[in-house]
Amino acid sequence: MPRGVQVETGLNKNMKILVVDDFSTMRRIVRNLLVELGFAGNLIQEADDGEAAIAMLKAQPFDMVVTDWNMPNMTGIDLLRAIRAEPALKTMPVLMVTAENNRDQIIAAAQAGVNGYIVKPFTAATLEEKLTKIFERLAAAGAAA
Amino acid sequence: MSAQLSLTRESLPDELHQLLTSPDGPAFEHALDSLVRQREQKLFRALGVLARDLHDAVSRLGGDLVQEGYPDNVIDARQHLEDVLEMSSQAAHRTIDFAERMRPEAASLASDAQAMLAAADTSVAAPARALAQQASDFAEHCTAGLNDMVMAQSWQDLSGQRIKKVVAFIGSVESAMIELVRLTGALSGRETVEAVEKINSQDEADRLLSEFGF
Repeated sequence: MPRGVQVETGLNKNMKILVVDDFSTMRRIVRNLLVELGFAGNLIQEADDGEAAIAMLKAQPFDMVVTDWNMPNMTGIDLLRAIRAEPALKTMPVLMVTAENNRDQIIAAAQAGVNGYIVKPFTAATLEEKLTKIFERLAAAGAAA
Repeated sequence: MSAQLSLTRESLPDELHQLLTSPDGPAFEHALDSLVRQREQKLFRALGVLARDLHDAVSRLGGDLVQEGYPDNVIDARQHLEDVLEMSSQAAHRTIDFAERMRPEAASLASDAQAMLAAADTSVAAPARALAQQASDFAEHCTAGLNDMVMAQSWQDLSGQRIKKVVAFIGSVESAMIELVRLTGALSGRETVEAVEKINSQDEADRLLSEFGF
C-alpha cells in the first residue's frame, strides 16, 4: 500500500491543485508526491511562474495552490499577494514550497497570508503533514464561523 | 621665506636673481612672471605624465580583454552553465520517467501477489504462496524506493537555482566589462598622449594658463 493512505481522513482527494514552479523537475516531483498521497493526478495542473498561475486561477476554479518562491516574471510571494487581493480567490489555500529559508521571507509569507510553508529539500512526510494541517485548520475555522 | 630664497637661487638665471633684488619695479614684475610660468609649466608637465600613464593603463586593460577573447569567453561561460542546467534537467526527467514507468508495474505485481495470497486456495502450493508473499513485499519496497528516487531529483531544482544566480552574476560582470571596453575605446580615440606632449612648449603652457585666467 502506498505510504500516503493514512492522510485520507479529512482530506478531499478530488481537489483541483495548481502546482507553480519555474523548474519542470520540481513541478513533476510535487505532482508525483501529491499522486502518491492519493490526490487525483488528472486534477493537478501546472504553471511555470506567478503570472501564468494567476491567469489560470482567474480562468478556472482550483481548490489549492502549491507554489515556489523564486520565479521569473512574478514570484511566489507576489502571486500569494495577488491571490489575497482578488475577491474571488482570497480564501484559496496556498502552500509555499521553497528553498528560501530566510527568516524575513518566512515572516513576509506569513504576513501575506500563506497557509503553509515548506523549505526545500523536503520529504513526502513533510508535505503530507503540512497538507493535513492546512485542511484541519481550514475545517476548524469553517466550523467556528 | 626660506623656500622662496632657495627657489630664486637654484632655478633662476643670475640676472633674474639680481632683478628680483633690484629696486626696478617693471623688471621685478617681469622676473616674478617668469618664475610663476616656470612653476606652472612643471605642474602641467606632471599632470601630462599622469594623464598619459592613466591612458596607457586603461588601453592596456582594453587590449588584454580583447586578447583573452572577451567577450566570447564570458558568453561561453554563461552558455556552459545554461547547458549544465539543461543537461541536469534532462537527467532528472529521465529518472522520473523511469520511476513513473516502474511504479504501476510494482503496483500490479503487489495486487496480483495479494490476490493470490487472498485466494488461500489449497491448490496453490506452499512454495508458490511464499513466492507470492516475497513478490508482494518486494513490490512494496520497490514503490517506496521509486518514490524516494523521485524525491531525490529535487537536487536539480536546488543546484539549478544556484546556477541561475551565477549566470545572472556573470551577466552583470559582462555589462560592466562591456562598459569598460567602450570607455577604453573612447579614450584611445582622443589621442590624449600627443596633446599632453605639446605642453612642453612655452606657447602651449601659456595658452593653457590663459584658460585658467592667467
